Amino acid sequence: MKRGLAIYAAAAYAFLHLPLATLVVFSFNASRFTLWEGFSLHWYQTLFSDAEMADAAWNSVIIAVVSTVISTVAGTLTAYGLWKRGSRLLSGSLYLSLVTPEIVTGISLLAFFQWVFRWLGWHLGLFTVILAHVSFSIAYVAIVVAARLRTFDPALEEAAMDLGATEWRAFWRVTLPALTPGIVAAALLALTISFDDYVITSLVAGVDSTTLPMVIYALARRGANPSINAISALIVVIFGALILISERLREA
Amino acid sequence: MRRRHFLFGSLATGLSACRRDRRPRLNVYNWSAYVAPDTIPNFEKEFGVRVRYVTYESNEEMLAQVITGNSGWDIVFPTHNRVPPMSSMGLLAPLDRSRLKNLPNLDPQFQSPSWDRALEWCMPYMWFGTGIAFNRSVAPAPSAWADLWSPRFKGRLTMLDDPEDVIGASLKKLGLPFGSTDPDEIRRAEHELFQQKPLVRAYLNAEVRDQLVSGDVLVAQLWSTTAAQALDVSPSLDFVFPAEGFPLYCDCAVILRESRRRELAHEFLDYLLRPAVSAAIAQSTLTATANAGGHALLPDKLRNSAALYPALDVLRRGEWPGTLPPAAQRLRDRIWTEVKAS
Amino acid sequence: MNRLRFCFLLPARIWFVVLFFAPLAIICAYSLLTRGVYGGVELPWTWESYQRMIDPLYGVILLRSVVLSAAATGICIVLAFPLALFISRATRRKNLYLQLVMLPFWTSFLVRTYAWMFLLRDTGLVNTALIGMGFLRQPLPLLYNDAAVLLGLVYAFLPFMVLPLYATLERMDPALLEAAADLGARPRAAFFRVIVPLARPGIWAGIALVFIPCLGAYLTPDLLGGGKSVMIGNLVQNQFTNARDWPFGAAASLTLMLLTLAALGIFYRRGPKDLL
Repeated sequence: MKRGLAIYAAAAYAFLHLPLATLVVFSFNASRFTLWEGFSLHWYQTLFSDAEMADAAWNSVIIAVVSTVISTVAGTLTAYGLWKRGSRLLSGSLYLSLVTPEIVTGISLLAFFQWVFRWLGWHLGLFTVILAHVSFSIAYVAIVVAARLRTFDPALEEAAMDLGATEWRAFWRVTLPALTPGIVAAALLALTISFDDYVITSLVAGVDSTTLPMVIYALARRGANPSINAISALIVVIFGALILISERLREA
Repeated sequence: MRRRHFLFGSLATGLSACRRDRRPRLNVYNWSAYVAPDTIPNFEKEFGVRVRYVTYESNEEMLAQVITGNSGWDIVFPTHNRVPPMSSMGLLAPLDRSRLKNLPNLDPQFQSPSWDRALEWCMPYMWFGTGIAFNRSVAPAPSAWADLWSPRFKGRLTMLDDPEDVIGASLKKLGLPFGSTDPDEIRRAEHELFQQKPLVRAYLNAEVRDQLVSGDVLVAQLWSTTAAQALDVSPSLDFVFPAEGFPLYCDCAVILRESRRRELAHEFLDYLLRPAVSAAIAQSTLTATANAGGHALLPDKLRNSAALYPALDVLRRGEWPGTLPPAAQRLRDRIWTEVKAS
Repeated sequence: MNRLRFCFLLPARIWFVVLFFAPLAIICAYSLLTRGVYGGVELPWTWESYQRMIDPLYGVILLRSVVLSAAATGICIVLAFPLALFISRATRRKNLYLQLVMLPFWTSFLVRTYAWMFLLRDTGLVNTALIGMGFLRQPLPLLYNDAAVLLGLVYAFLPFMVLPLYATLERMDPALLEAAADLGARPRAAFFRVIVPLARPGIWAGIALVFIPCLGAYLTPDLLGGGKSVMIGNLVQNQFTNARDWPFGAAASLTLMLLTLAALGIFYRRGPKDLL
C-alpha cells in the first residue's frame, strides 16, 4: 500500500509540474513550433525588446506592490480588530467578498466606477485597478493574519498593559512583532493574487493600466506565440523562487 | 527610522518616474497588428509628443470602454457600421477637414462612403472582407459558404467568433441578405448553424491563423487581412471570397468627443494619411489600406494580392453591412448565445 | 480599548461599504432596469431580465456550469485523496511535499491555463509525441471541448482539494488503522470504513474550495473551450461586452452569486468551521 501511494504521488506531482516545466523548456526552443530545433534565447530577446510588454510588466509591478501594501495594512488591522471583539457583519462581509465570483466582482466594480466617475469626470486607469485589487486582497490578508492570531496568547498583551504600556504600544511592540510571519505570508499571497489577476483587471483597466496578464491573454488569443512561453517561464521561475525563499525564511 | 524614510523615498521616486515625461500625450486605442513597428516612434519624434498606444481584439472590447464618455482615449478605430451609432450617441468629435490636408489621398470609393457621406466623423483606414481560408490539399476547394456545411471538413473547420459574420454567412448560404432583420429569416439561419455546429472545431478569430499554417485547421471562415497574413507564411494556403456574396468592412479612425487633444489627434490622423506612412503600415502588417496614395507605393506582389485587393468582378459580390436596428441586434445576440451554448 | 478597535476596523468597513456593497447595489439596480439601445441602462424599471433567466436556454447554461463544476470537484477528490494521504503519512520532508503541491498555484492562473493550450493543440506536445512514437497518424482533437475545460479546471483547483484533506488526515491517529487491521479489516475496507469517514470534514471543505470557484470560472472555458463551451461566467461577460445587455448581464451575475451562496450554505453546515 505504501509503495503504491508513493508511485501514485510521483505521478500526481508529474501532473502538477510537467505542464509548467514543458513551457519553460520550450521557451528555449529555436523553432516557433513544438518541434525541438535547438537551444535559443531568441524568444527572450523578442520579449525584452517589446515595449508593450515592458510597460505592462511595470504596470503589474506597481499595481501589485501598492495594492499589497494597502491591503496588508488594512487587512492586518481588520484581523486584529476582529480578534479583540468579533463583528458578525464585518467577518460575514469578508467571507462574502472571498466567495464572490471574480466576474461578478469585476462587473460590479466596473458599473460602480463608470457610474461614479461620470459625475467626477475621472476615467479608468491605474488607480481603479489598484482599488479593485485592494478590495479583493483585504479578505485574504485578514484571514491569513487571523489564523496566526489564533495561536497568539492574549495574556502577553495584557501583561504589557499591566506594565504600563498603552493599548497602541502594546499592539505595536508586542502583538505586531509576533504576527510578522503571518503578515509576510499574507502579503505574499496578496502580491501573487494581484500580479496574476486577469478577470477583474481587464474589466476595470483603462488607458494606463494594461497589465502583464492582459498582454499574455491577448497574445494567447492571437495564436500560439513562443514569447508567451518565455514570459510564462520567467513568471514561474521568479514566483517559484520567491515562494521557496519565503518558506525557508519562515522555517528558519 | 532612516531606513523607513529610504524605503518610502525610493517608492515615491519609483512611482513618479513614470510620470516625469511632460510632453503632450495622445492616447490611441487600435486593433492589434494595425501599425508598422516604426509608425508610432516616428510620429513621436516628428511632433515631439508621446503616444500611449494600446490594442484591442474586438469592437465590443473598445466600445465597452468608450461608451462611458470618459474612457481617456483620444482616437479609436471602430468598424464602419459602428460609426453611425457612435456619432448618434454623441461619442464622436466632428473631423475638421481643414486640418486633414492628406484626405484626398484616400481611394475614391472611401471619399464618400455610405456610412458617412461627407466624412464628417471618420477617416477610413483599412478595409477587408470575410471569406474562406483553406488548405490547398482540400479537393475540391471550397468556393461558397455552403461548402462550410460539408461533412468532409468535420473537426477541421473553424468559424469566426463573431455573431455578425457567422449569422451573416448562414443567411447568405440560404440566399438571404447578409444584414437581414426579419426574425423568421434569422431563425432559419440559426437552424443552419445548429446543423453546422457538430462539424465546427471551434469559434476562433485571429487565433486560428497559426492553426491554419500548421495544418491543424483545413478550412476557416476568416477575414481577408488575417488570411493574407497566414498566406504569406504558408504557400499551402489559399483564400476565396464565397460565391453567394460576402461582407466588406472598413475600420475607420475617429476622434472621441471627450478628447482634450483634438488638434494633436488631427495631426495624428493626417500623419496616418501620408502615402509613405500608410504604405509602410500596409506592407508590414499585410492589411489593405484605404489610402490610394499608399497603395500605389506598395510592391507589386502585395498590390496584386487577390485576398487583400480583390478584382472588381469579385468586389461586385461584396456588400457593406449597415447598422442593425436594436430589435434585430437583440435577436441575433440571443441566437448567438443559443448556438454557442447548444 | 474600543476606540483603537474602532479605528482599526474603520478602513475595512469603509472599504466594504464603498467598494463591495455599493457596486453590488448598483448591479442590483441595473438588473431591474431596461437595456439601452447600444449598451448602458435606461428607465423604466422592469423584472424582464429575471424572467429571461428562467428561459430553458439559460437553464442549460446554468446546468452545464453546475455539472462541469461538480465533475471537476469529483475528479479532484479522487485525485487528491491518495496524494493527501501520502503527504500525511510521509515521515520526512512533509513541508517540501506540501510546497510542491502549492507551487503551481503560486505561479499564475493564466499561465497554467495557457500551458494546457500549448500541450493539447493538434501540433502540441501530446499529439506530436504520440504521432512521433507511432501511436497515432492523425492528431487527436484534444483542445476545444468540454473535456479540455474539465482538465483545465481540475488542474487549476487540485491544490485546493489537497490542502484541507491533508489537514484532516494529518490529525488522524495512525493507530486507528492498525486497530482496524488487527480486527481483521482488509486495507480497502479500512480505507472506506475508517479513513474516509474521518476525513469527511476535510472533503466538504475541499468541495467548497473547488466547486465554488469552478462555478464562476470564466478564463478556462474561454481559452480551452474555443467558444463552444459556455459557462455562466462567460454568459455574464458576454452580456457586458458583445451583447451589450447590461440588465441581463447584471441579472445573470446575481444569479451566479445566489448559486454560489446556496452552494456555500450547503457546504458550510457540513464542513469544519475553521477550515473555510
